This record gives sequence, C-alpha cells and structure tokens, in this order.
Amino acid sequence: MSSAHPAQAAPRLREAARVRHTPAGGSVDAEVYVAPPFWLLLVLAVVAVLLQATLLHGVTLRGAHVSLLTVLIVWAGMRCGVWTGGWLGLIGGLLEDALGGGGANVLGATLAGFGAGLLSSRFFSDSIPVFVAAVAGATIVRTLTTLVVTELALGERGLFHRISHEMLWQLLLNCVVAALVLLVLRAASHVSTPRLR
Amino acid sequence: MVAIHSYWDERKLLVFVTLIIIACAAMLLELDASRHGRQSPIDELIAGVLTPIEGAITAAGDALSTEAQTLAQANEFAARDRELKQKVRGLAAANERLRADAAENRRLRRMLGMEQALPRSSGVAADVVGFAPEAARKEIAIDRGWRDGIRADDVVVSGDGLVGHVIDAARHDAHVLLVTDPASSVPAYLSRTQTWGIVTGTSLHAHMKYISQDANVLVGDPVVTGRGEVYPGGIPIGRVMEVDRKDNALYQTAVLQPAVDFSTLTHVIVLRKR
Repeated sequence: MSSAHPAQAAPRLREAARVRHTPAGGSVDAEVYVAPPFWLLLVLAVVAVLLQATLLHGVTLRGAHVSLLTVLIVWAGMRCGVWTGGWLGLIGGLLEDALGGGGANVLGATLAGFGAGLLSSRFFSDSIPVFVAAVAGATIVRTLTTLVVTELALGERGLFHRISHEMLWQLLLNCVVAALVLLVLRAASHVSTPRLR
Repeated sequence: MVAIHSYWDERKLLVFVTLIIIACAAMLLELDASRHGRQSPIDELIAGVLTPIEGAITAAGDALSTEAQTLAQANEFAARDRELKQKVRGLAAANERLRADAAENRRLRRMLGMEQALPRSSGVAADVVGFAPEAARKEIAIDRGWRDGIRADDVVVSGDGLVGHVIDAARHDAHVLLVTDPASSVPAYLSRTQTWGIVTGTSLHAHMKYISQDANVLVGDPVVTGRGEVYPGGIPIGRVMEVDRKDNALYQTAVLQPAVDFSTLTHVIVLRKR
C-alpha cells in the first residue's frame, strides 16, 4: 500500500498528462476564454430589467413574458461560477423588485444564479442543450420561489395552480431566447477570433 | 492517502450562506415595507434612478411604434399610387397623429367623467411608466408618488373601468396591483341582478367567485365594484365571458373579460381618499 504524499505525486502526474495530451503533429487549436468583467454583467442586467419592464412587456406568448434576466444570470453563472452567478442574481432580483415585484424576486434570482454557478464546474457552458436545460431549471426555480414567497407573505393560497400554465409558456420563451443567445455568441466569437495556425 | 473533495466545498458554502442571508434580509425588508404601503430604502434608491429611464424608454418605444405604424401605412399608399407617395405619407402621418390625439382626448374625457362620477374621491392623473419585469406579478408603475398625495390602497381607474389599487408609493412613483393579478381581491356585484361576489385575477382574465348558486348569471353581464373599505362602488370591472356552474358546488364562478385593456394602458387616474 503506497503512502506517497499528493504533493510529491503531482509533478509526475502533470508530466504524464502533458505527454499524453500532446498530439503527434505538435500543435493544437485552442481558444482562450476570458470571463466578462462583473461591471459589464451588471450593466447588461440593468438593461435586461429595463427592457422587460418597458418594451418587452408587449411581447407575450399566451400571457407569458420572456425573462432576459434569467437567461443572463444562468449564462453568467455557468461561465463565471457561483460568486458571479449568485451576486448577479441577487442584484438583478433587487432591480426587478424595485420596478415591481414587492420583494418576491430577489431570493429566486439569487438561487438561480448560484445554482447555475454550481453547474459551471460540471458542464460545458457552450453546450446548447446544457444551457437551455439550465435556463429551464432556473425559470422553474425562480417561479416556484416567487410563488412560495408571495403565498407566505400575502396569505394567498392556490397561486401556483392559477398561473402554472403561464410558467410553462415563459419556460418555452426563455429556452428559445437562451438557444438564440448562445448561437449569436458563438457566431460572434467565430467572427472576432481568427484561428491560429 | 487521497484527499476527498466535497462538492460543497467551504468556499461555495460561504458564498451560498452569505448570498442567502443578504437575499432574505432584502426580501424581508421589502415585504415589510410593502405591507406598510411604502417602498423599502433599496427600492426608493433604485427606483429613483431607474424610473425616469423607464419612462423615457416607454415614451421612446411608443413614439417608435407610432412611427412604424405610420410608415407601414405610407408604404401601402405608395404601392397604390407612386405619384402621390410623398403627399400620402405626410397625410397619413398627420392623420395618425390626429387620430392618436383624438383617441387620447376621448380617453381623457372618459377618465374625467369617471372621476366626476365618484364625488367622494379626488383624482390625480398619472402616466404609466412601466410594468413588473417578471410575469408572476401583474403590476404597473406610475409617475406619481406620495408627494402628490398618493397612498397605499388608493384606487386606480382608467376611462374604461377599474385598473387596480396602489400597493406602495415612493416619493415620485408608485406601484399599482392590477385587477388581473391573482393576489388581487375586489368586492363586486353583477349590476343586472345585484348579485355579490369577489373578483380575483387569473393573469390573463379575472374570476368572479362566490356567486350564489341561485343567481342567474348570463354571458355579457356587466360586473362593477361593490362599495367597501378600499373600493368605491359602481366602477366597471368587466363583463362575464363564461359561467362555471356545478350542481354539487356551493357557489358558481364567472370568468370575466376586464373592461380595461392593460396592454395599451398609458394614462390612469388615482382616486385619493379624502
């Protein structure tokens, strides 16, 4: 039974990994990913909330509205981790509550952002199915949290039963927007990043 | 010996706990403020900055929409007659503006009539500057606040009927819970049969619940507010679209089409309590 310390084994493992993953040709194509700065994500969150509260209010599918903020916090969480996802969700939720929501959005948005951040260590954030599934999950988490808070705070029972169909339509809208956003980001990244040979 | 890394490592747990504490504190602060009919300091701060921007975006969006409609009409005329294209475009634009003015004039006259028909209240005209960002709540933001004498539970109407009631008021703006919100409850009666019930929202429409089984409810029956602690009597809420009556139930329920078209709501009157 070996009792070698992990610190002693680490250089050997790194060398083994380097030899194993270097292809015979000697060079690989790689894209360097830089996480967006937090201030930029904040500006995007403000813009998303303002758009939802004004121009996008007229865009509905059977009474449901698209939630750009949910798509943004899931994308940021999956790209940048729990810290960015959680804080962006918290601030985005506060912004939504300030423009109408009575305090019911902040907890759901924080949980959604943090949850998306947890996925960042497990899944590839550029995968459309994974991203769309995460947005769908975040929409459900946000709606359920909002409804539970509203029911507990206002003492109104049976809200979920009344607006569950609207949540499903919003989920569909959010997923479509999420897929489109990722496709646009991919296209933009291919245009702006020349391949090195 | 291999170290086992927990999925919930300490750093993530610390971030999670910190975020949940802050989110819960903010939520409780806002819920408490909302119960007292005011906005929390955080809301006041954020809304003070964002509400003017929101109003500007809404106004710009309306202007763009009007222009787009005008251009679309002008294109139709252009297809029919190339020689008169410029003239028709100008006339169509002017006509559209006049039509919008006339429609606004009619709305304002109706609102004035509604205000004068409710002598116990004094009205404050307000513009709708935005809507609740999330669909779970049916709220609008208006550009008048407690500086204009608006308080929580003030009733809000338009020229067509009941819009809702004020749930919180800041210095320069206030939030109005629409009659279509599931959390809204309005005492109401069918004006044809004088049968009472409670109107609650279903997001898209409204339901009138607790209507007596003996009542004769017909599609198209108008429903108006019943006088209560918050609402004055006689404000139109909507008309019956569908009646849900089961023989083994205690009450019957009616689905209502609201009198107000909330998607095109731009001006409202807040009825201040004297």
